[in-house]
Amino acid sequence: MADPGRVTRVLQALSTDIPDDRALAERICLACTDGLDIDGAAISLMTASTMRETLFASDATASLLDELQFTLGEGPCIEAATSGRPVLVPDVDDVVETSRWPVYSNAVVEQTDVRAIFALPLQWGTINLGVLDMYRRAPGSLSRVQLGDAMSVADTAALMLLDLRTDPDQDRRDGNRPGAGARAENKPRDRSWGNRTEVHQATGMVVAQLGISASDAFARLRAHAFTEQRLLTHVARDVVGRHLHFTKET
Amino acid sequence: MNEAAGSREQLLIRAFVGLADTLVDDYDIIDMLDRLVGYSVELLDADSAGILLADAQRNLRVVASTNEQTEWTELLQLQADEGPCVDCFRSGAPVSVDDLAEASTRWPRFVAALADRESYRSVHALPLRLRGEAIGALNLFHRTPGPLPSADLALGQALADVATIGILQERAIHRGEVLNEQLQTALNNRVIIEQAKGVLAQLGSLSMDQAFNRLRGYARDHNLRLSTVARQVVEADLAADVLEALPAAKR
Repeated sequence: MADPGRVTRVLQALSTDIPDDRALAERICLACTDGLDIDGAAISLMTASTMRETLFASDATASLLDELQFTLGEGPCIEAATSGRPVLVPDVDDVVETSRWPVYSNAVVEQTDVRAIFALPLQWGTINLGVLDMYRRAPGSLSRVQLGDAMSVADTAALMLLDLRTDPDQDRRDGNRPGAGARAENKPRDRSWGNRTEVHQATGMVVAQLGISASDAFARLRAHAFTEQRLLTHVARDVVGRHLHFTKET
Repeated sequence: MNEAAGSREQLLIRAFVGLADTLVDDYDIIDMLDRLVGYSVELLDADSAGILLADAQRNLRVVASTNEQTEWTELLQLQADEGPCVDCFRSGAPVSVDDLAEASTRWPRFVAALADRESYRSVHALPLRLRGEAIGALNLFHRTPGPLPSADLALGQALADVATIGILQERAIHRGEVLNEQLQTALNNRVIIEQAKGVLAQLGSLSMDQAFNRLRGYARDHNLRLSTVARQVVEADLAADVLEALPAAKR
């Protein structure tokens, strides 16, 4: 019934021992270039603030497309990151389409042979985890099926990045997994918390309790669940039910 | 009798004028769906209503609900796996359960969860239809058993169709976007709203229901999109403003 799409299935089957977000970005981008009708892909951090860097680019063109946006301060990825909406440009030569970032689109036309750009925000609520930027040398939209797959890839990739960045299990994160240890089996990670209302609400409550960002608040919830060996959803329910309160000291 | 019919007509006019008003401007899908569930409850004498939309992986997720309490939305969400809503979504046809007590073999987990919490006795799920497919469903919950009169079913379906039109219309306003992206954006906005409810609930010692009402009241009074206000509550310092604003007049 629920067919998540080809590339999404590839991502869901990725092993759990990816050491850092650059390696994860590489796996995501390569899955996209393999399975979607595109020529290259990159994942960059593009928040409104100054934190801008490319985690991985599948080729020099993909890298240049993001570099130009860092330099010029405009472009589809920055728009995707700040608006939270996907920005799909089937033809960069279409002036109406690209009028929101004229300098960037001129640079793309002059310096590359790229014709189509698809920028998808990687987000979880207010948490911005980066932008997936894909390009093609031939103009045109993605097919309906591929676009559905790409959307679902963006969702899955965002959860994977968030999972990795907030993982309280240092052993796993550092790759020091014991060969036959309990956590060593290579089964898909459970990321069902991604859709749980109480986890979102608890994240907001911890934001207010500690005056920290949503992604730090979420990391605190996970760290608590990890040290107490409880399910994240149960910890979240305790926070929402006001049985558990985070303080700066704890 | 006449008075009742008259007041229902008034309600209908108010609902459709209100919805049409929303649809001409730049608007938030969740805000529009939130108004729509509110009207559904008033017009169809339901005790609660909610809308679930399918994400890109065809999983159903809650986007709007007349009751923002966590346990209620959990109950709605449970329907993503089992219950009248998911059956309605899969078949693209309305599913009516006049008495849930008789449906425990069909949906054991859903009926048990209902029995555990608030005792809703009948559920009606109406599809959000698009090109012969469902993109989600409107759910009406009643505390009393019994069928929905056919005129009410037709009105409920019209409201569900307005929801679909509203989603398509938003796409037309943001030129070039297709349904997949919109639904994804709407579902992410829902996550932002849940986070913002958490912030307000904590700072103002409010229930999730009250937190949502504050959020919505502030957005409407200031003519802002619900998701914009929610984002600023989580990321910036809008929370204090929202909490200090006088509660919006009942509408």
